[in-house]
Amino acid sequence: MIALTTPYLWYTTRATGIVTMLLFTAVVALGTLVANRVGGTTVGRFEFNEIHRSLSVIAMVFLVIHILTTILDSYVSTGVISSIIPFTSAYKRLPVALGAVAFDLFLAVWISSLVKLRIKNRSWRFIHWFSWLGYAISLVHAYMVGTDTHHGVGMLLVVACAGAVALAALWRFLGRPTRAAGRTALSPLASPPVVAPRPRVPEAFPRTPPRPRPRGR
Amino acid sequence: MGVIRRTGQFVLRVDPILCDGFGHCAELAPELVHLDEWGYPIISSEPVPTADIGTHESARYAVRGCPRQALHIIKIAPPRP
Amino acid sequence: MISARTLPRLFANANSRPLSLADHEETFRPTGAVGSLLEELEASGLVGRGGAGFPTSRKVQLLRAQRGHKYVVVNGMEGEPAAHKDFRLLSTNPHLVLDGAEMLASMIGASRVAVCVARDNPAVVNHVERAIHERAPRNHGPSFDLHTPPWRYVAGEESALVHWLDDNESLPQFRPGRPHILRIGRGATLVDNAETCANVGLIGRYGAQWFRELGTAEHPGSVIVSVTGAIDHPRVLEVSLGTPITTILQSVGADPHPQAVLLGGYGGAWLRGEELATPYCNEALAPFDLSVGAGVLAVLPRVACGVTETQRVVRWMAHESARQCGPCAFGLPALAEDLAEVARGGRDGVAAIKRLTDRCAVIDGRGACRHPDGVVRFVRSSIATFSEDIDNHLRGAPCAGSRSSQHYLTVPALEKESELVWE
Repeated sequence: MIALTTPYLWYTTRATGIVTMLLFTAVVALGTLVANRVGGTTVGRFEFNEIHRSLSVIAMVFLVIHILTTILDSYVSTGVISSIIPFTSAYKRLPVALGAVAFDLFLAVWISSLVKLRIKNRSWRFIHWFSWLGYAISLVHAYMVGTDTHHGVGMLLVVACAGAVALAALWRFLGRPTRAAGRTALSPLASPPVVAPRPRVPEAFPRTPPRPRPRGR
Repeated sequence: MGVIRRTGQFVLRVDPILCDGFGHCAELAPELVHLDEWGYPIISSEPVPTADIGTHESARYAVRGCPRQALHIIKIAPPRP
Repeated sequence: MISARTLPRLFANANSRPLSLADHEETFRPTGAVGSLLEELEASGLVGRGGAGFPTSRKVQLLRAQRGHKYVVVNGMEGEPAAHKDFRLLSTNPHLVLDGAEMLASMIGASRVAVCVARDNPAVVNHVERAIHERAPRNHGPSFDLHTPPWRYVAGEESALVHWLDDNESLPQFRPGRPHILRIGRGATLVDNAETCANVGLIGRYGAQWFRELGTAEHPGSVIVSVTGAIDHPRVLEVSLGTPITTILQSVGADPHPQAVLLGGYGGAWLRGEELATPYCNEALAPFDLSVGAGVLAVLPRVACGVTETQRVVRWMAHESARQCGPCAFGLPALAEDLAEVARGGRDGVAAIKRLTDRCAVIDGRGACRHPDGVVRFVRSSIATFSEDIDNHLRGAPCAGSRSSQHYLTVPALEKESELVWE
């Protein structure tokens, strides 16, 4: 394990952290645009989708750099395991744990999207909903780990990103397609309506028995 | 290696249950797909020769670009001589 | 023993109570002159009585070719609101239906039979439950399970029924290639209408030749029809295929000179009053683009308004959409609105007719199941058959139905969207 104590690793961690946050904000916002069927006149709908996909790759790259520089930097003791398993870091246990959880969720979303054509669409959609949760946790991580985000520009950025995504979430919720509730929505929160079965009163057919036929033949 | 021969025909088909009317297919394969008034695709059912590279590529982009993976390309083998 | 050339067959010895197992075996004692079940079924030419009219022996052959576990499903759902035949059959001769299911199971090698009856009809559920219970002491044959899906128009559709058994949701499934084998889990499934199963039961006891003594050469056997509409109370009766429709209507005392008769079901089409001498069989109805379907004969008298009746039915059919496919979920309500505008008349009505025709062309064939296709067929047939009424409506003149406020096509009450049950 390389033990480096140059401050540049530390600066890179912080910088890539902020960039990752901005990129994922854009990714989530673009995802909302796709879900709400924006586009078709000047910018094509498929183009928003493609930018969403491409940007997510770039965001993941920056996220990986952010994690790698944190691990390599021996100024703060976080190992490889801490990036995936929460609460295994000695330095700032909770914030790093949140970062690990967010990374796990983003990793699941990303890998499921890589194999999207191979898995069922329902499964992919189910996992994709967790991107919202991953993003929320990553914002909390960003604020709590706090070297830059407790004051000044850093805090402004966190608040701006949080606000933007909150608005996007609201717009996504309001613009959701109208379908019978629960059956086509695949979010983990969706469930079919629970209604007691009502007996069907046959409107037109009274229960008169057929005329008895002569027995035996 | 030689020339890649494209034989036979293909048809683009949609699974109407998976389709949610995003409309990306109409943008990516306008030769094959039109949208009805509710945003759902009307796909031409006439087989297209696979040698028509432009249309085939459009169809492949449409299949890849559909957010619900509702599109498939059905290959029709050429009749045996 | 029941004779070949006279009715009733399926309703033999029918009573106000369902036949017990002993009475059933007494009424339908086999003659012993029957060859192999498969050969007899093929020779009989039996076609499905659920609406599609697919040859039963071909379905059986397809399932025989499959490997692994197999199931037989008896479809007693009766999705058509104007039909009551499966309920009546299951309430009078349930054992005949179960016999047929047992024979189908032996032909394809299935070990389990699922009998499906809508839970909204507890009387019929009870009868079937008792019949299954009566057969329980037998040690041979497949095991019978009673299932009660919720009643919906599409719940009786084959793929929706199998999907409910598989995954607890009555939603039709996309079947890209015909023939497509329906599966519960990994087991291939044969779905047959209750009346079809009953006919298999008869063929198994009396043979193909006996079966073909009634009906026509191309459409053999007897069929149970439900007559509704211009009749004092709706009737269910068994008729020989090939009987002229006027004869059927006369025998139950329906309006002898109706405007039109709806054949098949609410996804069917109209036969004009002038053409009612047509024999009731698929080959005679084919030139009119009609078929026997689910055995529904809904009689529309001259005092009724075809436009309003059509609009009410289409509105309900739109409400019964599974809402999985866009053209059906959005297109059918649009058709219902257009029909309402035609009924209101005026210049909007003229535009609405044009829109109707265009929308029918756009919606047809673009759903996963045949529900939108049926509605389109019904709408097109209504536009053609009631052209005079439509003209009257568009001109604002009184139409035939303005003399009567009664409705003749039974349409269940619309439920609230949030209360629709599919599980």
